[in-house]
Amino acid sequence: MITQAAPPAQPPAVVPPTPAVRRRKRRPDLFRTLSRVLITLIVIVQVYPLAWQFLTSLRSEHDFATGDPFALPSSLTWENYARAFETGDLGRNILNSFVVTMGANVLIVLLGMMAAYAIQVLGFRLSKLVRGLFLIGIIVPVQIALVPLFIDYSQVNLLDTYQSMIIPLAGFSLPMSVYLFSSFYEYIPKETYEAASLDGAGPYRIFGLITLPLSVNTVVTVVLVNSIFIWNDFIFANTFVLSEDLKTIPLGLQNYIGAMGKVDWTATFAAVCVTITPLLLVFLVLNKAMIQGLESGATKG
Amino acid sequence: MLPNRSRTSVLVFLLPPLLLYGAAVLFPILQSLFLSFFSWNGISEMEFVGLANYIRMFVGDDIFWRAFLNALIYLAICLVLQLGGALAVASLLTSLRRGRELIKTLYLLPAVISTVAIAFLFVRIYSLEPVGLLNQLLHWIGLGSLERPWLSDVNTVLAAVSAPEGWRFTGLYMLIIYAALLAVPKELEEAAVLDGASRWTLFSKIRFPYIRPVWITTTIMATTYGLRGFDIPYLMTNGGPGQSSELLTTYMYKTAFTSTDFGYASTISVFIVIECLAAVGLILFLLKRKADA
Amino acid sequence: MKNLLRAAAVAAATALALTACGGGSSTNSSDVSPTGEMKPHEISWLLSRPADGAVINIMKKLADEYAADHPGFKLNLITTPDRPSYIQKLETLAAANKLPELFDTDATPFAQQLAKQGKMLDAEKLLKSLDIYGNYRPGALDYQRFDDGSLYMIPFQFELEFMWYNKALLAKAGVAVPKSLDDIPAMCTALRSKGITPIAIDGQDQWPLERYVAYQPFREAGPGFVQKLKKGDAKFSDAAGQKTVNWMAELGKAKCFQDGFSAQGYSDAQNQFTSGQAAMYNIGTWELPSLATDKLNPAVRNDVDFFTLPTTAGSVTAANEFVSPSGIGMAVNAKTYDPLVSDFLKFALKKYPAQYAATGALSPTTDVQTTVPANATPLFQKALDQAKDLGSKQAMPWDTQLDPTTNGRLQQELVLLVQGEVTPQQFTETLDSTIAQNAPKFFK
Repeated sequence: MITQAAPPAQPPAVVPPTPAVRRRKRRPDLFRTLSRVLITLIVIVQVYPLAWQFLTSLRSEHDFATGDPFALPSSLTWENYARAFETGDLGRNILNSFVVTMGANVLIVLLGMMAAYAIQVLGFRLSKLVRGLFLIGIIVPVQIALVPLFIDYSQVNLLDTYQSMIIPLAGFSLPMSVYLFSSFYEYIPKETYEAASLDGAGPYRIFGLITLPLSVNTVVTVVLVNSIFIWNDFIFANTFVLSEDLKTIPLGLQNYIGAMGKVDWTATFAAVCVTITPLLLVFLVLNKAMIQGLESGATKG
Repeated sequence: MLPNRSRTSVLVFLLPPLLLYGAAVLFPILQSLFLSFFSWNGISEMEFVGLANYIRMFVGDDIFWRAFLNALIYLAICLVLQLGGALAVASLLTSLRRGRELIKTLYLLPAVISTVAIAFLFVRIYSLEPVGLLNQLLHWIGLGSLERPWLSDVNTVLAAVSAPEGWRFTGLYMLIIYAALLAVPKELEEAAVLDGASRWTLFSKIRFPYIRPVWITTTIMATTYGLRGFDIPYLMTNGGPGQSSELLTTYMYKTAFTSTDFGYASTISVFIVIECLAAVGLILFLLKRKADA
Repeated sequence: MKNLLRAAAVAAATALALTACGGGSSTNSSDVSPTGEMKPHEISWLLSRPADGAVINIMKKLADEYAADHPGFKLNLITTPDRPSYIQKLETLAAANKLPELFDTDATPFAQQLAKQGKMLDAEKLLKSLDIYGNYRPGALDYQRFDDGSLYMIPFQFELEFMWYNKALLAKAGVAVPKSLDDIPAMCTALRSKGITPIAIDGQDQWPLERYVAYQPFREAGPGFVQKLKKGDAKFSDAAGQKTVNWMAELGKAKCFQDGFSAQGYSDAQNQFTSGQAAMYNIGTWELPSLATDKLNPAVRNDVDFFTLPTTAGSVTAANEFVSPSGIGMAVNAKTYDPLVSDFLKFALKKYPAQYAATGALSPTTDVQTTVPANATPLFQKALDQAKDLGSKQAMPWDTQLDPTTNGRLQQELVLLVQGEVTPQQFTETLDSTIAQNAPKFFK
């Protein structure tokens, strides 16, 4: 969309802070102090809930029920974690979420790359139409597929399987992936392909030898962004999964709901802390790659 | 276009993604369209009712219009928080010299937490009895008269359920906009500063026009996610009190799975699809036209 | 492209038509003793009960015992404790014609349609053929019956709902235990003037507030009112209807419920009561382990007591008639009913009551004695004793009675009525027209 020839992944850290320096000379520290205070405030707002969630998971039930929920706990306890593991099968829930997230991601990345390659690199007569078709998937809400998919699954015996979750999760994430990949492919210079073509490489080899290796950064971005949504997906899992063995984390968390809606909150928060840990770790380790991918994907509009 | 491509190779690359996409997205949309002409509760015989569902939706259903209006307000609040917040923070961040990486990471964290946990957290924050964080804060800064049960007050509930959704994803959009702002050529800015341009002129005349294409993409993303909003209002208030925080998506969901009125729910689905398409068309039209002007 | 679209639409139509036809096949719902060879296999029970609760634990244990003698048998317990999610799951499974051998449901209009289509086994015949029908409390069975008296679900619990209260807080406000439902608004005003929250209520789950709307008509016109109301044969504009509408509005005006109740959950409400902030709390015997044992906060332990649903002047139902639900019931799928299911049910249903009563809960049958746990307060026994002296009528929770659309609207409008956002008149008009619009679809 934008005619700017930025290199695909420009690390933001190398940008020299000259404008800031110059500005500071003109207007003394007021602006900078203000923005620091603002940024600190915003960061507190963003991080506090995670911290609160963790602290709550260390509170005793009694303390949580009667004390000020926002004060520091009067004493710390790991009891909630013991209860969390007793009530639910957290290990299995995490494993299931992992299988679903991975399965969906493989489809999203592989098929996303293939479609983008066909649309952007190979090109064909109706490519505009196909692109438009994919746009629909970015736009429509996932909820509309629930009723029809349920009926379809029951026809082909797919209810209560990993696939029943993976298919719609991947299907609805595919358009964004196609979009990110094709806007990335737009910036692979045509000459690269032409040179390879002249050497006699066919479309398959070009895909495997040129396009695929160049896409790594975008792959990381696509995987991480989608993982956030898929890991926490509730609506498809809740509709299509029935048996205990296939329950993913959000469904597993429901096991902490007792009779008539009574919830063991401290144990629930302990479980939440356990279940977001894997995602959080991956996120913290790979977050630099993801931020770079997002940024490079974004600046190319 | 690659010179050596063949029809088969295009199909080999295109068919598998289209197949999955068709099965998971396009076909269900068509099925919804089909179902919207029927009255069906899931267990009895389907009954063809023609346009009756559509007529009921447009003229005979006060909740539908209420939910539609709510969805628009919800969207507006999310957009202001997500885009406005993202732009503001991204601008602030460019003026910072150290700690940018750390702040970017911290800022993205809320997106990782599951909506179930977020919903419960915000119920606590908004609570009045026992007093929650927000009311506590208002009390401390001397605005005690504003204390209220935010989720039970019909005037504040919609804003109260929109805020967490906006809050969650501000970090994501901030990153995108931040990256775009960094790409603004420094020479342009410096030249303007030398000409004595104010901070606002610098922003409105140099920076913003430069990032407009990214802005359009971000706006479309935020709009479509806003129109999809479901989890948080559903979990926090279930649309209440009354219909004050009912969105089209929650209403559709309840019509299908609580009232077992699959035909009418599909009618609402069809409307949501059209609504989303129209919204995106409108954004493209408005923002593109402005860019051309 | 157009052709493709058309083809897809046709395919969709066929798929749907197939599903719809699949639902039509009927089975014999009264053949309770199937013949044929008994082949052990896995059976599933789709249920909505707490994952670690007594019912599930006992049934698991019984299934293991049964499996020891019948290799190959296995009982899959698939639980979705969150009720709205469960109902969604049940309805979609029914739509897909994929109901398991056993499934939980209340006596809702939806369940009645399933029964009419012959998808559920006649539970009365089943229990009689197992020779245990007479053991059940009549009230426990009545709770599961449809309006026509037919019985398709088997109860696993028996609960009584009481108004729990804090004696010290009532004394502080100088009010006595209400003699009549009509005394409650004045009691709330008195409590509020002393800075005490009168009633803690779980507004988020909606059924607790819906209980209140059922009380006045039950006293005024008996259990028949809601049965007529749901079909449109009685109206909120009738005398009994107006009485409850105005009473709910008065409860709101007197600020009976905690501020912001509509967004507060179960645990929050209970905590308000058990921490001594709220004076009253309406809940059933399933909370005995937290309200009538040493688990209860020591600060309020000696002040907590309960009373049963007050009557009114001219009440047609007696003081010993109130809400006594036997919980969500278990239905037996007629289509998959075979000698094995029959034999397992015979085994399990006979052994269940004794083990259930041993956990300190009230059994739906009368042939066993509930064990009072060692850490119980005297209130525990007092609560259990109420079950011995019950009248023949019981107040049905309205959420199991009304059609789902009306029920949803009622829950929403009740909050508005209590908060004073709509007038009693607006409330009456909205609900009467909602019933008129939706009842015919479910009760024709």
